[in-house]
Amino acid sequence: MRYADFTPYDIVLLLQGLGVTLALFVGTTLIGLAIGLALAVAHHYRVPGCRPVIVLVTEALKNSPVLVQLFLVFFGIPAFLHIRMSPVEAATLTISLNTAAFAFVVFRSGIESIDRDQIEAAQVFGLSRSQILRLIIAPQAAAFSVGPLVGILVNQLQVTSLISVIGVFDLTKIGNILNLRTLQPFIVWAVIGLIYYLAAKTLAHAGGRIEAALRKSVKWGGI
Amino acid sequence: MIVAENVEKRFGDALVLKRVNLRVEPGEVVTILGASGSGKSTLIRCINGLEALSGGKITVDGHDVSTKAGLVAARRASATVFQLFNLYPHMTALGNITLAPIEVLKLPKAEAEARARALLDKVGLGAHAGAYPQQLSGGQRQRVGICRALAMQPRYLLLDEVTSALDPEMTGDVLRILAELADDGTTMVFVTHEIEFARHISSRIVFLEQGELIVDLPTAQFFAEDGGLAVPRIRQFLSKMKKD
Ligand SMILES: Nc1ncnc2c1ncn2[C@@H]1O[C@H](COP(=O)(O)OP(=O)(O)OP(=O)(O)O)[C@@H](O)[C@H]1O
Ligand SMILES: [Mg+2]
Repeated sequence: MRYADFTPYDIVLLLQGLGVTLALFVGTTLIGLAIGLALAVAHHYRVPGCRPVIVLVTEALKNSPVLVQLFLVFFGIPAFLHIRMSPVEAATLTISLNTAAFAFVVFRSGIESIDRDQIEAAQVFGLSRSQILRLIIAPQAAAFSVGPLVGILVNQLQVTSLISVIGVFDLTKIGNILNLRTLQPFIVWAVIGLIYYLAAKTLAHAGGRIEAALRKSVKWGGI
Repeated sequence: MIVAENVEKRFGDALVLKRVNLRVEPGEVVTILGASGSGKSTLIRCINGLEALSGGKITVDGHDVSTKAGLVAARRASATVFQLFNLYPHMTALGNITLAPIEVLKLPKAEAEARARALLDKVGLGAHAGAYPQQLSGGQRQRVGICRALAMQPRYLLLDEVTSALDPEMTGDVLRILAELADDGTTMVFVTHEIEFARHISSRIVFLEQGELIVDLPTAQFFAEDGGLAVPRIRQFLSKMKKD
């Protein structure tokens, strides 16, 4: 066996890399969606002073390269604040915030797509703010948001590959390692690409099912 | 009793309600007439707390709608039927009707649904409990809107042009239901352009003119030559309505 050959153990390496990628993706997605939702709700209720700050920060996050954000968080912030930050921490922070910015926009338009009329009806029937949020706004905004969110998350899954640059051992980093060892870039990157593709397709498929479930009444054309 | 005292409402510089006084006793049906833009909807929206008053005071059974606790109590006492139905599109007819009874009145679900089904039966929609608003015609939606209001067992029904988005046939269906409610002694504040119907069911008619409540008369007197018709503006309004 030549040094550069593929070995069965490479499968384990790939699975480890995939595991890191998926764990990071799931973690940042949950954090990002939660923050995005909180921002959209704060924006909707015009929490004092919130709107301009939210809009400024999310615009900055949406309109600058994620790689630059990652460098700023990994190299810039530790240097500026004299703190230590591990690659995984930096990656989690950056991608969570980035996802939050995109999710905020989707949730905001989901909330805004709901007719004022219905909310006024709920108000005069005595429902509280939180009941209106939970029972009127949330279900409709969710059904409206799932489609666009799935698109965003499929993209964010690809974006996680950037974290290999700061030394997180994700799927792309494993690809790098295998490539350097085997000098078979075509095979290595084709396989890595295929794995990302399959993960993205699975995600899109699951998203489609969730969306269908949320819109389970086909006749409900109200959104 | 609903009492409006010297109610004023401003939108920016425009004074839309000018020192309006109105009293609605239990059992009365009071119709508000007036030209488009005269402030009828605004007055209803002040009573149900959708607009904050710029001046004066409104109480419903003694509860001041401009205080937080008062508004909660006032909204329990009254229910609104809207011109454009304002149903919740993601809920069935049954869901629309039972939402507030379950969430606000804290009725058990089964009881709220039994009440809702009885109301739907009464308005001829017994077979449509599971339908979403999009699956219903305008007239059917408005009947759901009426059931939603009645399910709260309100002491006062506020109705703002509830038939103006409906074609004549559906209007007839809805008006028949309202006439039955009036016969049953339901207290109503009613904004409408259906003059003949108003004449038939109202105990009193008030007339708004550019935000001022200029006439408040028992129905028979409102339509009498020496009563409402003696006011040139009202005579003009009524003859224009007849032509339309
Ligand atoms: N939210 C608002 N902001 C600004 N102006 C408003 C608002 N709501 C109503 N107005 C104005 O207040 C006046 C009274 O409106 P309102 O809707 O109460 O009239 P209305 O008598 O119900 O008319 P219609 O018969 O057409 O329904 C109008 O001049 C209208 O333009
Ligand atoms: Mg109006």
